[in-house]
Amino acid sequence: MVTRTTDLAVELCGIALHTPLLPAAGTASAGVMSANADIFGAVVSKTVTLKARPGNPPPRVAETPSGMVNFIGLQNPGLEAFVQNLGNFDSGVPLIMSVAGDTVGEFVGLCRRMAVEGRVSAVEINLSCPNVEHGGLLFCAGPESVAEVVAACRDALPGKPLFVKLTNEGVLRNSLAAEEAGADALTLINTVPALTVDARERRVLVKGGLSGPAIKPVALRAVYEVSRAVEVPVIGCGGVARGTDVAEFMLAGAAAVQVGSGSFAREPREILGEFAVYLGEMGLTARDLAGALGEAKPLSGW
Amino acid sequence: MKLHPVEVISRERYGDHVRIQYLWTGDPPQPGQFVMVRAAGHGLDPFLSRPLFAHDYEEGDVASLLVVVRGRGTALLAEEGSALLVSDPLGRGFQVTEDGPVALVGGGVWVSPLKLLARSLRRRGIEHDVYLESPAAASGAYLGFLKENFPGATLIETAGGTGSAVFLDWVGDLARYESIYVSGTAETLAAARSAAAGVVPAQLAVRERMACANGSCYGCAVPVWAGGEMVYARACVDGPVFEAAALAW
Repeated sequence: MVTRTTDLAVELCGIALHTPLLPAAGTASAGVMSANADIFGAVVSKTVTLKARPGNPPPRVAETPSGMVNFIGLQNPGLEAFVQNLGNFDSGVPLIMSVAGDTVGEFVGLCRRMAVEGRVSAVEINLSCPNVEHGGLLFCAGPESVAEVVAACRDALPGKPLFVKLTNEGVLRNSLAAEEAGADALTLINTVPALTVDARERRVLVKGGLSGPAIKPVALRAVYEVSRAVEVPVIGCGGVARGTDVAEFMLAGAAAVQVGSGSFAREPREILGEFAVYLGEMGLTARDLAGALGEAKPLSGW
Repeated sequence: MKLHPVEVISRERYGDHVRIQYLWTGDPPQPGQFVMVRAAGHGLDPFLSRPLFAHDYEEGDVASLLVVVRGRGTALLAEEGSALLVSDPLGRGFQVTEDGPVALVGGGVWVSPLKLLARSLRRRGIEHDVYLESPAAASGAYLGFLKENFPGATLIETAGGTGSAVFLDWVGDLARYESIYVSGTAETLAAARSAAAGVVPAQLAVRERMACANGSCYGCAVPVWAGGEMVYARACVDGPVFEAAALAW
């Protein structure tokens, strides 16, 4: 159980979070988030697109060593249907809307709509999707493309923080470009492009994005490098499944931490409880972890 | 996903099939529902819990599962002495009408939910016939399991695989039933869906890989018809039992 005496509160772009733990986009339904509003500092919606998306044909998930590959395809009912059900997110904690588009114009349209939604505290743009105007190259493929979409979204979202979610490839230069273009926070990292193969059937099982503890060291490295190079806060994401994982991301430089597929294997409540126990044992608050990471210690005496 | 440590009472082996009994005092499972299960003490590898149909639930709070060992995850579940973590019963199971007679049709490890369904029908006094696939390659131990757990069931020998169409022929005229409930191999599900179309309402328990099991991740997509349009439903919350006519296979 979460120890209420432990100070877990943090602040992110002026938004007070009662804990640093957030769900990663697309990994907690509105019902799951409501049931966990006492442990999530904010909730993050499933990624919404302008028009409804049917999602990819199955199979959509495959287990891998310490993780999984998914190929969901951003299945969602589209912006208008989603906005009509925003009341589902009235859970008493801030709502961060995750959005994605095929074009810069779609991202802008989504941000404009979110700018006027009172329930929405911040927007996280998911740049791991193809830009149809640039031959299907991902928006996060390079700093120019990142800067273009971030600058356009920044203009379209007056008065609300803009979070930019990036994949690991090119994360440092893309983060710098996003910050320069006006990002208020960076969510690092999205799933890692991956492939699973069925040798007996001699066919691809699932081609998609890898998540889970398998990518945690990769995500930690990204958070560590980027948080030292930018001024804006970094939200850590990738393989969080235990309380100490939350601590590791915050020590590496994250202001808040998202739990995604780790919540399929375990309960977010258990993870936050472990984090509170860790803080209690260390005599620290969540805010104390920022900047508290020392360098590697030379091994001796073995 | 909230998982509860449970007390495993027994593991009975029938060839590569294992029936696991455990004490369960939570919400009673309904026929066609499933639970997420993982072996305790192995950390996060295997990463995902395994979805298994609720096989049976008896007086004395004894719940059971049927698992066939396919890989490391299922081997750990089946391992003697392995402690288990089990979720509450999940999903939407068979929607049973009050009218009989009905037929239960199944095969493979997926006969599992039909045991709890047959128990429920018996208790409610609904007349039912059970037809189970007996593949030529099945072990004597598995066939013994079928006979022991489905007394009175008609075992129909098939070649397995595409032989399932033959299996449905053996069941005969489906129109004599008010409803059929099917849980079997992919071939059996497909054959039952075709045979039932326009003849008798059929409910099919689908088998999908799952990750979150609570409707969050959309990993267990099942194509269904909604207003003339194909959409992806989620096996974990919209199923795992679907009306055969709704499936867009």
